[in-house]
Amino acid sequence: MAVFFATYGSLIVAMMLAAMLALSLYLPLLAGQLSLASPGFYALGGYVAAIISTRVVPFDSATQAYVWRLGAHEILRFPGPLYPVSLLIVEMLVASVLSAVLAVALGLPALRLRGIYLLLATIAFVEILQVVTQVLDLTGGAIGIFNIPQPFASQLGYAWVVVPLLVLSAFFVYRLERIRVGRAFTAIREDELAAAAMGINLTYHKVLAFTMGAVLAGIVGVISAHSINTWNSRQGTFDAGIAYLAFVLIGGSRTFLGPIVGGIVLYALPEVLRGIAAIPGLPPALAQLLKDGRLIIYGLLLVLGTIFFPQGLIRPNLFRRRKFEATRQVPGQV
Amino acid sequence: MSLPLFFQQVLNGLAIGSVYAMFAIGYTLIFSILRIINFAHAAIFTLGAYFTYALTGSAFGYNGLLKNSALPIHLPFLLAAVVGALLAGVVSIVIERLAFRPLRERGADPLLSLVSSLGVAVVIVNVIQYLVGAENYSYPAHPYGNLPTAINFGLGTRRIPVRTVQIVIFGVAVVIMLLLTYWLNRTKTGKALRAIAEDATTASLLGINTDRLILLTFFLSGMIGGLSGALIGSSVSIAGPYFGISFGLRGLAVIVLGGLGDIPGAIVGGVVLGLAEAFVPAQYIAYKDAVAFAVLFLMLLLRPQGLLGGAQLQKV
Amino acid sequence: MRSMVARLSTLFVIGAWLLMACGSPTPSSTSAATTGGTAALAGDPVPLGVAVAETSNTAALGQEQVIGVTIAEKYFNDHGGINGRPLKIIRQDTAGDENGAINAFNALINQSKVLGIVGPTLSQQAFAADKIADTAKVPVVGPSNTAKGVPQIGPYVARVSAPVSVVAPNAVKAALKQNPQIKKVSVLFAQNDAFSKSETGTFQHVITTTSGLQLLPVQTFQTTDTDFTSQATTVLNQNPDLVIISGLAVDGGNLVKQLRELGYKGLIIGGNGFNTPNIYPVCKAQCDGLLIAQAYSYELNSPVNNDFRKSYQDLQKQEPGQLAAQAFAGVQVFVKAMSAVDKATPLKGLSIEAARTAINDQLLKGKYQTPLGPISFTAEGEVVQNDFYVAQVKMNADGATGKFVLLK
Repeated sequence: MAVFFATYGSLIVAMMLAAMLALSLYLPLLAGQLSLASPGFYALGGYVAAIISTRVVPFDSATQAYVWRLGAHEILRFPGPLYPVSLLIVEMLVASVLSAVLAVALGLPALRLRGIYLLLATIAFVEILQVVTQVLDLTGGAIGIFNIPQPFASQLGYAWVVVPLLVLSAFFVYRLERIRVGRAFTAIREDELAAAAMGINLTYHKVLAFTMGAVLAGIVGVISAHSINTWNSRQGTFDAGIAYLAFVLIGGSRTFLGPIVGGIVLYALPEVLRGIAAIPGLPPALAQLLKDGRLIIYGLLLVLGTIFFPQGLIRPNLFRRRKFEATRQVPGQV
Repeated sequence: MSLPLFFQQVLNGLAIGSVYAMFAIGYTLIFSILRIINFAHAAIFTLGAYFTYALTGSAFGYNGLLKNSALPIHLPFLLAAVVGALLAGVVSIVIERLAFRPLRERGADPLLSLVSSLGVAVVIVNVIQYLVGAENYSYPAHPYGNLPTAINFGLGTRRIPVRTVQIVIFGVAVVIMLLLTYWLNRTKTGKALRAIAEDATTASLLGINTDRLILLTFFLSGMIGGLSGALIGSSVSIAGPYFGISFGLRGLAVIVLGGLGDIPGAIVGGVVLGLAEAFVPAQYIAYKDAVAFAVLFLMLLLRPQGLLGGAQLQKV
Repeated sequence: MRSMVARLSTLFVIGAWLLMACGSPTPSSTSAATTGGTAALAGDPVPLGVAVAETSNTAALGQEQVIGVTIAEKYFNDHGGINGRPLKIIRQDTAGDENGAINAFNALINQSKVLGIVGPTLSQQAFAADKIADTAKVPVVGPSNTAKGVPQIGPYVARVSAPVSVVAPNAVKAALKQNPQIKKVSVLFAQNDAFSKSETGTFQHVITTTSGLQLLPVQTFQTTDTDFTSQATTVLNQNPDLVIISGLAVDGGNLVKQLRELGYKGLIIGGNGFNTPNIYPVCKAQCDGLLIAQAYSYELNSPVNNDFRKSYQDLQKQEPGQLAAQAFAGVQVFVKAMSAVDKATPLKGLSIEAARTAINDQLLKGKYQTPLGPISFTAEGEVVQNDFYVAQVKMNADGATGKFVLLK
């Protein structure tokens, strides 16, 4: 068991972070908005964490403490060597605020676009952000920012933050789907014109859904930066965005459980394949194929997953009594 | 900016843009008929480049399953590129059968084909690496015979050179675009395809064999993609299994700029993106990619129907 | 609701069971039989981890490193292993990202119980994964991480890849020797590559501090770029006497090719990333005359390098590049350190934790005759390397093959 957690501590944390990232994509999708902006806010959150923890409140090795100075004046001091969790929470708040501001500024013009055009606009945002962080000195260029301090003694320690956060965000989305705002989102997703005709403020609700997703992605970025110990412009790219989208669609885009399960399962899949290849007693040829062909199998499973679970692994009626099998097809967003 | 420099940058923009356009034509063709984005297009593009490499009789390296193997035939580059393109077209048909048709038959959300085509791309890229390794490959020297490596458009002492291979790519892209446009607008098959694009169900009620025509579309798209891979590979060498993937995002930008599914638009979009990149001032070159995407972003806000599109979204 | 909980928990139990199955440690004997040439060796193999990018778009680099470590495994087992016990390399793919590197390191450390790790491929990955190894007190040797700050990650982190502060001035000197008229210098670098970013700083510093040289406005590109027409046009307008490029094989090769095709006639210096025969097919005949700053030269005439070069040629039918040589050296320092520790107190008698720490201490103390020449480490784990080279590419008439000619 100890071996299991030592080996997979980081993976378990990363799986839960992936689930939250999938949720962050699911939120705008709830209002019918196909956005791949999450990686951008994720990157932003990571930079907030990296800059605060290494530049604003750097570790002073002489006194083994994290010290916040303004000019020559010492404002605050936190005993080290572990990074204070309180500062981690401050980082999350800062990242949330920045993500929200940026999301509103970006969302107001961009959310006038629909379907694939919105998708493209959000990809453009992610790409622009990536280039900018690659060039700026503040963000450390290609090398990025490293030696980000650790708030926990082990990787599994992150579970203290990540598990409550995942439960909280899952509960948040679960409730959201059942209150007025959430129903407005669904109305917009199902029929924008009809929703508008019923007096739902389209812009407000779209920007709201988009912003909620952005804030969640920003918070995940904060934790991720600490957990992987370094941050650079390779984090949160277009490719990552596509992966999150796959999490949502394979997991199921009709209930909040879909993206969570999709994120956890799909994120772990390549690692599970890696682990299976290491199981003793496998014929060497099979072990070799599993090891070298890990990504080939992953790709095949993506294809098979979409074909055999066109509504995702988790459908809203999966856990209800199977009285009303959903037969209605989901209208396309593209 | 001096006039010769301006002229040089325009030519540079056209040259860069022609590569994007070339990539985007096959990409946009599928979108124009099926309204889906085929992420596997980038992988087909890569496959075309590798098929062509194999057909020229060149040997593969020592890192994959096919260690140091070479085909016993040595086709000249241009012939190899054509055959390679046909093979890429065949692979594209297989992909349609395995990854797109089952979804279409189930009437699944078109977004899902994004994921299944992504899965196909992952498979193809990794199979290539499994077979022939991750190293770069390049075609035998002088693929275009004795043409000079660059052509000078300048006068007198002020040289304005453009690489010959980029002129070839530009020419091929324009020819393909013209042929496709003619085919779609003037021939019976083309008109049938456009009918499918308008409404597949009605089209099949009218007796149009939609399945066969969709296969044809995938074949053509794959062929054009494969040919692009070979031609661009001859310009910049095959950078490994991710060769095409690095064009994918730019290609997506181009087909949106040109108006989704608009074939002449792919050329215009490519050239506009190329020009935007070429005219980034040298001191801001670090932001070149950001500029390209900023142009895309503004374009989307100002003219979401694309550069050529009218008020109504043009379907083909 | 109850059935939902039941279903979900079933799902998680299955998932956890799957992971557990993977979590069970691999008996170290499973593939001992597959290591060739170990007939004379006896005892349990000594496990050494290698975590490099075997997939993703970084695989072109990782693939070279795999060749290097494969050659090393066979070479050292043919030379007596670890005092008679065979060395066993256990590889885990890191792919190109940070999380992949962390997962690979964790699997090697906890499942395979390796005594040390050679890896990862990229500096950015090193900042993420080396921390894991350092916390677990497992020695790591970076085969290709050149960014500033890597050895400082912790006491268990070292590297055999020298940041090129020595070789850059030599390369510029070599260029000045070939053309004393050089005044204006254009510099280009791949801005998304940590390796190139570090290196260009050194080059730019050399130019601004060498009297008589003028640094023209710096141009950048991406390692994924293929078209360098804009950069080439700017360079041609700058009209420099020397162009210095820091990039990797394919992008750098394309840049050289496009510069030449568009009419640049002067000297070009390529950084360390060019130090692989893989550039020949990219720039072909246009590679000719390119000056390359090298941290490894296959022409080094030493027994170990001659053997390494021979093995590489047998496997790959071409000359070895820097990445493979550095990966070989990474394995080598571990083998030597393990042998030395084992001689003092047999590794078998040590707990795994004690063995790892002892190997790390020994590793930093030792001196090694590697294909890179003689190397040792500072107390921090930074490599101390004496031999750097500047070579000039000489292409053969076929335009597809060539060689690096050492400049003295």
